[in-house]
Amino acid sequence: MTGAGGPAVRASDLTVRFRSVTALSRVSISVQPGEFLALAGPNGSGKTTFVRAALGLVVPSEGSVTLHGVPVGEMALDARARTVAWMPQEESVGDNVPLREYVLYGRYPHARRFTPASEQDRLVADRVLDDLGFRDRKDVGVQELSGGERQRLHLGRVLAQQTPILLLDEPTSHLDMGYQLEMLERVRRLAHTSGVAVVAALHDLNLAARYADRIVVLHRGHVVAEGPSSSVLSPALLRDVWGVVADLKRDPQSGLPYLIPRLPTVDPVASEVARGLRIHVVGGGGSAAPILRALAAEGHRVSLGAVALFDTDSEVAVELGIPTATEIPFVPLGEEVRARNRLLMAESEIVVVAPFDVGPGNLGVLDDLLALPETKSVFLVGPSALAPRDFAAGAGTVRLTNLATRSRRVEDDRELLRAIASPPAAHG
Amino acid sequence: MAVGGSAAAVAVPLRSRRRWLALALLAGGAVLLAVTPAVGPVPIPIAAVFAILAHGPGNVGSASVCGGASVSASQCRIWAEIVWQARLPAMFLALSAGAILGLSGAALQGVFRNPLADPYLLGLSTGAAMGAALLFVFNVGTSNAALLLPAFAFLGGLIPGIVIFAVGRTARRSAETLVLTGVALGALFSSLLATFLLYNPLGDIQVSFWLLGGMSDATWLRDALLVGVALAVGGTIALLGRELNLLQLGEDVAQSVGVPVQRVTLLLVLLTTVGTAAAVAFTGVIGFVGLVSPHIVRRVVGPDYRKVVPLAGLVGAGFLLLAWDLAQTALPPLVLPVGIPTSFVGAPFFLYLLYRRRSASGAAA
Repeated sequence: MTGAGGPAVRASDLTVRFRSVTALSRVSISVQPGEFLALAGPNGSGKTTFVRAALGLVVPSEGSVTLHGVPVGEMALDARARTVAWMPQEESVGDNVPLREYVLYGRYPHARRFTPASEQDRLVADRVLDDLGFRDRKDVGVQELSGGERQRLHLGRVLAQQTPILLLDEPTSHLDMGYQLEMLERVRRLAHTSGVAVVAALHDLNLAARYADRIVVLHRGHVVAEGPSSSVLSPALLRDVWGVVADLKRDPQSGLPYLIPRLPTVDPVASEVARGLRIHVVGGGGSAAPILRALAAEGHRVSLGAVALFDTDSEVAVELGIPTATEIPFVPLGEEVRARNRLLMAESEIVVVAPFDVGPGNLGVLDDLLALPETKSVFLVGPSALAPRDFAAGAGTVRLTNLATRSRRVEDDRELLRAIASPPAAHG
Repeated sequence: MAVGGSAAAVAVPLRSRRRWLALALLAGGAVLLAVTPAVGPVPIPIAAVFAILAHGPGNVGSASVCGGASVSASQCRIWAEIVWQARLPAMFLALSAGAILGLSGAALQGVFRNPLADPYLLGLSTGAAMGAALLFVFNVGTSNAALLLPAFAFLGGLIPGIVIFAVGRTARRSAETLVLTGVALGALFSSLLATFLLYNPLGDIQVSFWLLGGMSDATWLRDALLVGVALAVGGTIALLGRELNLLQLGEDVAQSVGVPVQRVTLLLVLLTTVGTAAAVAFTGVIGFVGLVSPHIVRRVVGPDYRKVVPLAGLVGAGFLLLAWDLAQTALPPLVLPVGIPTSFVGAPFFLYLLYRRRSASGAAA
């Protein structure tokens, strides 16, 4: 079904410019036969342009796209149409032709000129229609189908083309949940069992992670991330590329990642002032978790200090992909960890002290905080009563009280965000 | 019988209704063919026409050919002359020109994905007529023009052909843009055409013939030529039916399944220009045949261009023949330009299509 070895699709340093706009910039992607590659990226990131370039509908400004080693632009149209099939994002169905005729359109590159559809063509079309659940409706007109049914029919036209390469542009955009899964399941099966190389532009990252073998993330025409579906997605990537905050979870059944995205939720004026600060959070025992999320959501570059591995806070830090000074669990914080914590504090513009419980094991961290230069901006988060947090027989309370005198006090993470956003003159 | 027919149409809606429509069209066509040689400013009994046709084009020896004692030999000779030298050539001219206009309309509607496309509305016909009329400015009379006439018509038709090719490809989203461009071109060429005709140094030109069409200049030679063009152009366009079908999915999709879109589009516009130019050179400008015919055909056989193109040719032929008969009989003894009845039917139909589109897109939005 495929050429002798080598990738089915290979883009090398592909650059596409439309007048002054650069839609793709030095993009290199290759897809193997039998591989399902998902193209992800926000609107206007270049997914569709990539697909169109791989089809030969867009001519590269620089670089090249080859299909089984042959440059797309050098392939004859019919040979190309027997190699690669395309399902566009929006396809007009045209006139009200019967479904059977519509799927037969996909047989065009296989048909001899000026001859009616062959027995073989009809067999292929029938099989495709049966398979897609149109068995009893082959003579129905396409305009009688719902949007989702039309999208499945478009897949039918593409499948009837019987090409070793499929390019699908948002193949699930009009489908309801069940059919989305069914469509992608079908496409994956095609890749894995028939050796078809599939490139699908997908908006839904969770679907991409679930079905694709590999994900390439495009952003403003550049490849910004690429890798196996299980590892390429991260909250930092979502923040940088889509501008959303996302919690990354793992599907307990498959172990595959899935994302729960949301918009950053703070008033935009404040965040405009305060975006992108380096902030170090000292926490432990889960006290820093909401603060870390809130700060990361605001686009700050956050780090976490002096917490134990597998502590809730450090789990959140891993999830958010932020640098952390960690110690192995259930031992006092060692000098090495404290040194790293000091380094992270020194490198940051703001230090935030989460309302963690103080015990003999982490008193040293408070000492390090007290040793910070006066110029360093420190925020102490939590209720004003400090004694209840002390599990170190008064030593903690002393240090926290001292710390409180040189810090700005805020009640919780919301107030913290507001305080960071407001000008330092309000300090007091 | 009629009652039984309509009951069946209700019971088995679409297929049966289509069958009845097809039968009605066929029967109408047959009647039209039989009646046409009898129709004209000089009334000839239909029985006499059949007798003259049965006798053949040879010399009419006696009145018995015209089948009756009431007809003198000289009368019969004149009738035979009229039938063989005027009415039959006019009939074949109307059939072949109508066929060309009908299938050109189908091709243009398909290639531009535009239900309002038509050789007249897109300015092709008027451009061709202007090209032909240029000959008269150079003192080449109608009778001397011969094959120069279609050649010049083709050159004239190339101008709107090139423009609509360019506009149709870039402004495909808006059907109205293309048609408005055509109408503007048509107005421009119309004014040039009228100027050329009025300048008319030899004074032997019928202005109304060129502006609104007619079959009065028919000869067997011209018929042979136009039938040849109709078969060649129509045959080629019909062979591109599959490509026309795929173009309905959009140029990009068509190209992705292997249709050489650029070449096919260019070829189709060129073929319609050639066909329209040949028809206009011999019949003048006739509107709306190309608009109406494909829509009638779609009602009967559905949207498949492999059927729509050849059948639009047939329906176009019948439509123009009917219009020609009406033009000769509506206001006797006047023979109206044939473009009058076609516009009388076609213009309201155009408005209907336009407003149906409007309300359809309004509902979608």
